[in-house]
Amino acid sequence: MTESTAIALDQFLPHPPAKVWRALTDSDLLARWLMPNNFRPVLGHRFSFRTTPRPGQGFDGLVHCEVLELDEPRRLRWAWRGGRLDTVVSWTLVPEGRGTRLFLEHSGFDPDDPVQRGTFTLLDGGWRSHVWRRLEQTLTALP
Amino acid sequence: MSEGDVFAALANPTRREVLRLLLERGEQPVQRLADHFEMRRPSLSEHLRVLKDAGLVTEQPVGRQRFYSLRPEPLRQVADWLGPYEQFWRARLADLREVLDGLPDD
Repeated sequence: MTESTAIALDQFLPHPPAKVWRALTDSDLLARWLMPNNFRPVLGHRFSFRTTPRPGQGFDGLVHCEVLELDEPRRLRWAWRGGRLDTVVSWTLVPEGRGTRLFLEHSGFDPDDPVQRGTFTLLDGGWRSHVWRRLEQTLTALP
Repeated sequence: MSEGDVFAALANPTRREVLRLLLERGEQPVQRLADHFEMRRPSLSEHLRVLKDAGLVTEQPVGRQRFYSLRPEPLRQVADWLGPYEQFWRARLADLREVLDGLPDD
């Protein structure tokens, strides 16, 4: 069930990897599409993204990050911690035609988190069988 | 109703079984549910109360009986527990595309 603890997305961008890499590693550019930050492209550098605090969820609005991997222009990995999250965000750039396929993986969502654990209980045993499928069909049919 | 209530309600096997019965058989009177579990009605009623508080079942009095039916909407948040994060990243990737489109290629 490890796949349940990660988000994986990918997107084709009609721009060369070097340019995509720049948008991922230039602090000002990052601020334009992600969040204001004090990122520097240095392995081990600790930085943060600033966003809206959500006190109800124990989140002060700062995502505390660290550069875990920096392999220009192929792979970039950040620790991503804030509120109840202690996760990792990985970017992988693969040349595709005249552009770049950008893979994003946000992993390490914690199954021990009380909120998240519920999902694992739910997916245990019989619930993984037809019951869960029928529930999903029911949910899909909802407006 | 908080997310936590839904997860707490689903954490119990009897309550999951109640939801399964309601899903497969539709609306059920409380006595028929109690018969299924060979459980005293007060014990079952406590489970039904937790499910009702979590918004997972609705209660409808018909004559002297109470009928319960499944209300699956709160299960959405269980099915989609990573949904908000995924939506966040999809929106950010769309913004990234726009930023790149506006940049010179070097």
